[in-house]
Amino acid sequence: MKIDTLFIDKAIPKDLEIEYLISRLDADPQRVENTKTVYDFINDAEDPILKAKKTLYITQNKGAVIKACPGTSFYTCCDYTILHTGTFCTMDCSYCILQAYFHPPVLQYFAGLQTLGHSLEKTFKKNKIFRIGTGEYTDSLIWEKVSLQPKFLVETFARQNNCLLELKTKTVNIESLLPLDHNEKTVIAWSLNTPDIISSEEKGTASLNARLEAARLVESKGYRLAFHFDPMVIYPECEIQYKKVVKQIFEYVRPESIVWISIGTFRFMPKLKQIIEKRFKHSTIPYGEFILGLDNKMRYFKPLRIKIYKEIISCIKEYDPNLMVYFCMEDEEIWEKCIEFFPKKEGELGHLLDKSAVKYCSLNSNLL
Amino acid sequence: MSDCLCEINTSDIDLTDERYKISFSNKDIGFLARSFKETGLIYPPIVRPLNNKFVIVSGFNRIRAHIYNNPVHNNGIKILVYETKSDVTEYQCLLKSIGSLAFQRQLTLAELIICTKRLDQFLDKQQIADKSPAIFNTALGPSFVGDLLTIGALPDPALELIHTGHLSFKSAKRISFFEKDTIKVFLEIFSKIHASQNKQLEIILYLMEITARDAIKPKAFYMNQEIQDILSDKKKEPGLKTKDLRAYLFEQRFPIIFKTRQRVKEKITSIKLGNKIKFLPLENLDSQTYSISFTAKNYKEFLANVQDLNAGLENKELKEIFNQ
Repeated sequence: MKIDTLFIDKAIPKDLEIEYLISRLDADPQRVENTKTVYDFINDAEDPILKAKKTLYITQNKGAVIKACPGTSFYTCCDYTILHTGTFCTMDCSYCILQAYFHPPVLQYFAGLQTLGHSLEKTFKKNKIFRIGTGEYTDSLIWEKVSLQPKFLVETFARQNNCLLELKTKTVNIESLLPLDHNEKTVIAWSLNTPDIISSEEKGTASLNARLEAARLVESKGYRLAFHFDPMVIYPECEIQYKKVVKQIFEYVRPESIVWISIGTFRFMPKLKQIIEKRFKHSTIPYGEFILGLDNKMRYFKPLRIKIYKEIISCIKEYDPNLMVYFCMEDEEIWEKCIEFFPKKEGELGHLLDKSAVKYCSLNSNLL
Repeated sequence: MSDCLCEINTSDIDLTDERYKISFSNKDIGFLARSFKETGLIYPPIVRPLNNKFVIVSGFNRIRAHIYNNPVHNNGIKILVYETKSDVTEYQCLLKSIGSLAFQRQLTLAELIICTKRLDQFLDKQQIADKSPAIFNTALGPSFVGDLLTIGALPDPALELIHTGHLSFKSAKRISFFEKDTIKVFLEIFSKIHASQNKQLEIILYLMEITARDAIKPKAFYMNQEIQDILSDKKKEPGLKTKDLRAYLFEQRFPIIFKTRQRVKEKITSIKLGNKIKFLPLENLDSQTYSISFTAKNYKEFLANVQDLNAGLENKELKEIFNQ
């Protein structure tokens, strides 16, 4: 989606990063005193969410730059670390929780490579493995074509050996990353879905083939890969379609390059349903068989989740029985029934993923 | 603006002209008629002279009761009324009709809808809200007035259903956003059942979600035999129809959840743990904890419950529930 309004926080100095960004965005920058001007501008629109997707606010991160992923109660969390580089997204996925998460949603780019660098240096000095990602509150690569940030992050992570950087995306914005010396510390991850879901629910994203083609390209440059089947949407014959996607992955890339594959079915805060119904009138994803989960999120009825998980996991294991497959926010019963194993102890799933990170990204194994 | 108190002949009143009628007629005016006999007419109706006749502005039931008390003199009985001036406007008459009721008692929702709909010919939403304390004896916000107008635009028998409590304000508002045919479907449904507001909203939600999911028109879904059988069963009470309709819609909306719940319920029943032992299935069938409980007033009861539990231990269904 094209940016048609560009706001810049008055406090942001006009340095190389900002000049680079502005020169590549086709919008006149407006300096603003505070966020209120941006909030008002967005809230005045008939569809504030759509407006927010076209309105970029370049500002500073006023909160923590690095923080632990909040996870959710009752379900097993992977102990991920979030690098907070921005919020919201220019693509328009119907199921995107960010539509309901921010009030109002604001497409923010957090400027300040130095600030990022300082925070990361502290983390690099800790005697612990970290899996750090920028794709929690935004897509990691939406600004790749206009920003120096992805390059900065890849090169910064390349100089240490206890942290893995995961750039999670639905784009194919990888060009500037190809020539970089990443030292195997960066994992480029794609959220995948079936072509049906991509075309009906993931407006503005790259096609499945394009994503896999991009994966093949970064793999050829030595980057490690990850894939996230999240959210999986249950619809008639979806098992066949998801298995086809798994098959395609292994047609494009080698299992040896894949650090992990996560899977999780569509779950949402109840208030997202109204947003989907209002903004995506033809979407039928809110009409699945959902129940209210223990964490107060709507989830597919458990037997349905188990069925699709079993199918897709057995399909992945056919290609590589040792590939690290994990669930994002699922409970013991699901783990046991689908993977015949449950990371019961606190931090056990995180530890398993750390091991995979060490193995694939040449991190310091003494820190495990 | 003051009206003149005078006696007129009831035969000079055009009883068919109900342009200022804002309330639903009492079906039984017997009590009112008896009250007139005992104490006489306390508040005279208001009439407007128009085209050599009188049009009732307020007091439809009072005039009906008066005629009811004097059937043999139907053509010639006198009644005390307030007669408006001949140059009174439609708007002034409307205000009189609303005010005479609203300052006696709180208007019902159906009456508020009728009133705002009529006022809409003269005032906009904001003006109605601004003047509402003087007109309705209560302050109405512009957004509420907007809702009343939206619901007022629903076709018949929406108002009647709201008046009789078959259609709640929230449900009426919800269906007012749908297509004409879909609105008709819900009005037909709610005229045949009697459900609380939450149940009405659930029926609307499930029916709309089923049809959106299956890409069919609500009318086509409504016409299916199962729904028609439930709604047209003359032997069933409206409450029972509501229950059956909700069960059917739930089964259609959540077919797998429905089947699983049924299966678990059947298994729990077949274990026969005794009436005093409660065996609750998993919460939303998503948690991992079953709950089995009993209460005991004394040791004898406690022992009996434990024995019932023991007896169920080897039950095949019980094992299946835990090992499924």
